[in-house]
Amino acid sequence: MTQKYSPRRHRPVLALAAVLLATCGAAWGSVASTVPPLRPITVNLQDKAALRNGALYAVHMCVACHSLQGVRYSSLAKVLGLSRAQFLATIGTNGQHYHDTITSNMPAALMEAYVKIAPPDLTVIAERRSPAWLYTYLTSFYVDPSRPTGVNNTVRYNVAMPDVFASMQGLQKPVVVEGLRFGSPAKVAVGVQPLTQGTMTKAQFDQTARDIVSFLYAVAHPHQQERERLGPWILGLFLALSILTYLLYKLYWSRVITSKERWWRIGR
Amino acid sequence: MNNSKPSKTSGVFGWIDQRLPISATWRSQVSRYPAPKNFNVWYFFGSLAMLVLVMQLATGLFLAIHYQPNPHLAYWSVLRGIQRDSRWGWLIRYMHIVGASAFFLLVYLHMYRAVMYGSYKKPRELLWLVGIFIYLALAAEAFLGYLLPWGQMSYWGSAVVTNFVTALPVIGKPIATWMRGSFVVDLPTLNRFFVFHVFLMPMLLLALVLVHLIALHQVGSNNPDGIEIHDNVNESGWPRDGIPFHPYYTVKDLFGVSVFFVIFFWFVFYNPAGWGLLLDKLNYTPANILHTPADIHPLWFFLPFYAMLRGVPDKLYGIMAFGGSFVLLAFLPLLDRNPIRSIRYRSVLYKFNVLMMAASFLWLGWIAHGFATEHNMVYGLHVTEVFYSTFLVLPFFNRQRTVRAKIIWLVLAEAAVWLIDVWMYSIHAHGWDLMLLTDWIPALYLLVVFGGALAFPALTRDAAKLPERLTAGGIFH
Repeated sequence: MTQKYSPRRHRPVLALAAVLLATCGAAWGSVASTVPPLRPITVNLQDKAALRNGALYAVHMCVACHSLQGVRYSSLAKVLGLSRAQFLATIGTNGQHYHDTITSNMPAALMEAYVKIAPPDLTVIAERRSPAWLYTYLTSFYVDPSRPTGVNNTVRYNVAMPDVFASMQGLQKPVVVEGLRFGSPAKVAVGVQPLTQGTMTKAQFDQTARDIVSFLYAVAHPHQQERERLGPWILGLFLALSILTYLLYKLYWSRVITSKERWWRIGR
Repeated sequence: MNNSKPSKTSGVFGWIDQRLPISATWRSQVSRYPAPKNFNVWYFFGSLAMLVLVMQLATGLFLAIHYQPNPHLAYWSVLRGIQRDSRWGWLIRYMHIVGASAFFLLVYLHMYRAVMYGSYKKPRELLWLVGIFIYLALAAEAFLGYLLPWGQMSYWGSAVVTNFVTALPVIGKPIATWMRGSFVVDLPTLNRFFVFHVFLMPMLLLALVLVHLIALHQVGSNNPDGIEIHDNVNESGWPRDGIPFHPYYTVKDLFGVSVFFVIFFWFVFYNPAGWGLLLDKLNYTPANILHTPADIHPLWFFLPFYAMLRGVPDKLYGIMAFGGSFVLLAFLPLLDRNPIRSIRYRSVLYKFNVLMMAASFLWLGWIAHGFATEHNMVYGLHVTEVFYSTFLVLPFFNRQRTVRAKIIWLVLAEAAVWLIDVWMYSIHAHGWDLMLLTDWIPALYLLVVFGGALAFPALTRDAAKLPERLTAGGIFH
């Protein structure tokens, strides 16, 4: 028996589906915030020059306040592909021992007194936040006189960190739109524009920020290259085993006589 | 055949075998243990779950060697000591993390298999009940282990769960303090969670799994047709539709293990954080007692229960709502008393109901994955009502119902749902607008089941006859 398709027959179903979709959609909208677009970035763990440049800034600028307690200088040298002598000559250990963990000389308690919050450890910050988020964060400080530090950030509203890049990048002003913050209408900064010129051009600073993010990604994923090198072998091994064990299973089961009856033909 | 006689009486093995029934046990439980010949793909998950249990014990041993159960050391002993300073530590830890999620996935599939093929029905009620206790022990094990990395989500998740007991009046708070060994989650809590996680719960799990296996071998396996193979035996007492577990199912399970490892190690090597589902992003921040995260949520395998807890606007009732779902599972053999085991030979509406059991569970997980907004909470409440309904309507399918019975079921069920909503509204501030917006979900569900049974009686009709022998069909049958 065939029946001609008629959209009218499905009208109640479609109406129900529309109500369902509408009510589900309403659940999403209620805590919406206007999210600034993240700047895209590709991290290349093979680009050792970029990682070394990022490490230089990280060890000499970031570590002024932040620590990387999960990383030792010696393991960092391995990530960067440097010998001990090369590492000590180019990047150095801030006066600490080569096998020490990277710890800031600034006491966390003092930082809490200064900016009300201890600077987060950067070991796995690239896993906590995405590389694109970090890249946008580092390049999106803008002048905001209402803040104690004089700056704010598009992706981290009311950030406690001061704009340590001001001399390199120059100051920036926000691009403000009428948007939402936690569901309420507000003026939201969704981008930045240059205000003053720093010691670097925009392209130079963006490259530096990308190098720092690449470095942070590399220390957050110290075994990624090893994992991706081993992965095909392990998966290949078990794929081959799957094929072999499937053939073995078929071989053994060839002598098992199963019924020709199919369950969906029974009792109907 | 006499299974109790040792096969080999000479040599070293013979000497042991006469004193310890190794070969007799092997014969009776493995090589001459009859298993139905029509197991399909759903029957891989039990043996895989046992494999993962062993893997968790092995990887956990090495993790415990390098772990420091102290709030000052725990976080970095995991991220630095295990992940970076120990050789292959990252592999061991990622296997343990992916293993935990794999364990839950396999156990959920294993349980759903039992629901589909009626493996909880006579004579397997106790087998099912032991399985529920295994699930509870596994849930406790996962919860205890989640505190150990001492990240933000570890800490606040444990803080939330250890506060459950404070829902009890008067005695709640002293009990919570006693359980934690402190007024907040702290060193004593971490120490006891560590000991329970690596010592007490694994022992309990192993013991329960052993009891589960003994109970299984006492009654024999069910199968996708739900036909008892021991009802049809040949002259020597061997079931006509049975095959020896070894070599047929050992060789088949080897294939299952190989395929499982391809998927498992894909996660371990390429996606250990599992898109933030297996390893929460917030756990990359050390625990901070002064900073409560905006959104505290469990890992993916507890999300459906979290939606039930969150959906009910009262702490005690919320805990009762999600605790009650385990009670429902335990009472499944009493709710579904239809003599037909397998879903294959049950009615269309019963099939739909079993499908909705899984669908509403997944839907709850999806809701809890979102933020704790008023909308999501009300959604959680109403989908919880659907999940509960899929169990509570089971007695309706126990036999053919008259038109009058169908009308009574429909009216009472709809009235119950609306009364619960009135009650929920009366105890807390879910607005009427929000309640009415999503109230159609359980109402429509019950209307489909009972209204469908009224309008189309054929939809409630089980198969007229069952097959005499096991049939074939399905993947890897």
